[in-house]
Amino acid sequence: MTADATLAQLKRLNDAYQMFRIFTADQTAGDAKFLFSAKDNLTSQEYETCCGSRILEGYRPIFDATAIARLKTAGGKLIGKTNMDEFGFGTFSVNSAFGVPKNPFDRERSCGGSSGGSACAATVLEDHISLGVSTGGSVCCPASFCGIYGLVPTYGRISRYGLIDYGNSLDKIGLLARDPVKLGQYLPVIAGKDPHDPTSGIQPELKLRHRPIRSIAVPKEAMKGISPTVAKAFENGLQILQSIGIDVERVDMPMLGYAIPAYYVLATAEASTNLARYCGMRYGHQDGDYTQGFDAYFSSIRTQYFGDEAKRRILLGTYTRMEGFRDRYYAKALQVRMDVIDAYKAAFQNHDAVLTPTMPFVSPKFTDIAKMTPVESYAADYLTVPPNLAGTPHLNCPCGYDADGMPVGMQFVTDHWHEDELITMAEQWDKLFDVRIPEVKA
Amino acid sequence: MKIGLEIHVQLPTKSKMFCSCPTTDAPAPNTHVCPTCLGLPGSRPVLNRQALVYGIMLAKMLGCTIADTTWFSRKTYFYPDMSKSVQITQYDHPIGVGGVVYLDGKKPIRITRIHLEEDPGKTKRTADMSSLVDYNRSGIPLAEIVTEPDLGTPAEAREFLTQLVADIRHTIDLPENGERSIRCDCNISVGKERCEIKNVTGLKNAERALTYEMIRQVQVLKAGGKIDRETRAFDEARGVTYSVRKKELEADYGYIDEPDLGIYHVGMLAKSITIKESPLNMTLRLAKQYGIEEAKAKQLVATSTDLAALFEQLAAATDVPTALTWATGAVTANWKAFTARNVPAAEIVDIVKHLRAGQITDTQCALELKSYMTGQSAESAAAAAADLEKIIAGYLDEHSEVVADAQKNDRAANRVIGFVMKQTGGSHSSAEIVEAVNRQIKQRL
Repeated sequence: MTADATLAQLKRLNDAYQMFRIFTADQTAGDAKFLFSAKDNLTSQEYETCCGSRILEGYRPIFDATAIARLKTAGGKLIGKTNMDEFGFGTFSVNSAFGVPKNPFDRERSCGGSSGGSACAATVLEDHISLGVSTGGSVCCPASFCGIYGLVPTYGRISRYGLIDYGNSLDKIGLLARDPVKLGQYLPVIAGKDPHDPTSGIQPELKLRHRPIRSIAVPKEAMKGISPTVAKAFENGLQILQSIGIDVERVDMPMLGYAIPAYYVLATAEASTNLARYCGMRYGHQDGDYTQGFDAYFSSIRTQYFGDEAKRRILLGTYTRMEGFRDRYYAKALQVRMDVIDAYKAAFQNHDAVLTPTMPFVSPKFTDIAKMTPVESYAADYLTVPPNLAGTPHLNCPCGYDADGMPVGMQFVTDHWHEDELITMAEQWDKLFDVRIPEVKA
Repeated sequence: MKIGLEIHVQLPTKSKMFCSCPTTDAPAPNTHVCPTCLGLPGSRPVLNRQALVYGIMLAKMLGCTIADTTWFSRKTYFYPDMSKSVQITQYDHPIGVGGVVYLDGKKPIRITRIHLEEDPGKTKRTADMSSLVDYNRSGIPLAEIVTEPDLGTPAEAREFLTQLVADIRHTIDLPENGERSIRCDCNISVGKERCEIKNVTGLKNAERALTYEMIRQVQVLKAGGKIDRETRAFDEARGVTYSVRKKELEADYGYIDEPDLGIYHVGMLAKSITIKESPLNMTLRLAKQYGIEEAKAKQLVATSTDLAALFEQLAAATDVPTALTWATGAVTANWKAFTARNVPAAEIVDIVKHLRAGQITDTQCALELKSYMTGQSAESAAAAAADLEKIIAGYLDEHSEVVADAQKNDRAANRVIGFVMKQTGGSHSSAEIVEAVNRQIKQRL
């Protein structure tokens, strides 16, 4: 399908799947060499950027995120900003003020989150690449639920200039695509040092040499609490990998179990400071009662326009950095993070990658998600959080389907700066495994 | 009574601390701003290395221990002029800790720490009770110097601030744009509990605010009341302090590490930075090293540290008494003109050397110095000096009692100086007249 044909049916597709918060009305791609979309927490000058939050409604950034700017320079056309959980706070993209993306395999189910709209766009639109953002699993989770490839490079590989912060020490831009070749095609375009983001300045050069993964560690801890259908698809995936001569060893990585609590302490602590700037003064809604004192005014705007999950995480994060709790929670979580990194480093002494299922279950129905408690939904991230906490690159590959045809994904993790092996793996895997494309109903 | 100070100094970097906006005066409100200092979503800080260098220089000046690694933290508070509602500052690992400054070279005032942080914007109240915010100042680099409560009186606090500010200006070449770039928070306790007076601008105001607060606390305690730990503000116009809010503890700001900036390994950088000797240290050293009166040393340094350095050269080339006589005499008298001329000081040393070798007389030496230092021709310098000498000599001839009086009274010469100033009508600098009068009186004794 040509780019123009994609643009022609964008409205119809969005009506059916709600992947976009906002999208182009252009009917022709003009000189553009390719089309791409981006999660709504990446700034772009031509669209409002709201991070799925009403508090930023009406906000038009004055600068492009570096990743978006680099794709545009390479001839890309940004066709829209994708729906997401508010500020990235969620696993199912249901915590959105603007629209919940629907799973292309079953519209009664979630696309995953928080980059759900990006995964949906990458699945539904042909020849598409979408930028997502991962803080604790927000690229691999939706890639897994939508049955596509999702790559999150090492923390610091892609500039975060223009990425609206959730947790700055965790946020990473990632790529989502049906076709794994696109990962290796566009990562070099957006990666690299950027004077606007000091954390991008220490990276070694990205070199894609097609180095294969030869040996894999599978942590035993990862298999606990996995649904039988996911376990079955995963074991099947392992057999395929072994059949092409990859060594698979079951290992112990007990530290993985501590990643979730440490992650939620650090991510919410950082988030609560990042969200402090949204107070109805400089951008977004400014329609409160100006006769109040500024404290009361800020509170009224924040009360009205932040969603419940954003409020929950602000409170959690503020609590963990309070006097008396800071050492007990925040400082300890920093230590756990170092221990998780050490556990990965130990595994990489003997293996090229650590492999687990991506999510413990296939995409749930919206009716079931509504019944979940916050802690239940946080716990669903226990396999995607560890590499995010460690800042190590990771990749989702589709590896099976359940009886309803819902996709299952597996997650490869390699050492810092080793994106090459992941991209090689994805391309290799795509030849071994028959990835299903859902029938688009629009 | 205990007084401790937190002094904020704007560092003279060309661009702001975390972005490339200029730090110069802006043509209008909110013109020297960018996504970073406005805190727009998705913007990030990039550290200005020069701010770190200035921080290290000041830490050295204060005798602080400089950390091998230093990093930044986030301090969260909601205030309209703080664009991110988060201030990037230093908490756990400031640039320097544990220094000491000797007030007037004697009383030790301990320095708790020195850290770097960004300045917030400015809030301006309008007549109709609304507020306007200007973010031009947002992100200007600040060094905050925190003292222990070692100061005993408001006057002593002012004296300390005066000395500290002079040292800071000298060390980091801070321009003299009034006292506006120095602000301080003043902590004072007369009894047990202390109050903090926030954001006092200028040295005189610090003393005024502290004096008012001292009297207020004494009166409260005398009346049987209790001092509450609180933050107060100083009203410059009325000269009073007033309560702003109950004081939070520093830890209540919920500090976390600033994840957008890394850890800075500054050990090597700190080693490579040397700082100029502070004026006070130079004064003390000169007095000790050359065995001269501290007042004389202070006079030299206060005129200029370059003049004091020239004195050292003269002492090396001739001897201490000769060096002191000429450095505080004719050289000081012509110093202002000399600094404007931008010619080498070595020639001054040569002239005084000739005197010491007996090649020229005192009068010739004074003339040559004047001619060289002011750029006047030798003839006109000689003629002008001769006129001046004649006027003084004439006066002293008529009033011989002045010479006699000068033996007992230090101020006797003032009469002569006043007369000569009137007579010459500004054609000679006051320093020059003082020098000539003192010299002639000395000769007649």
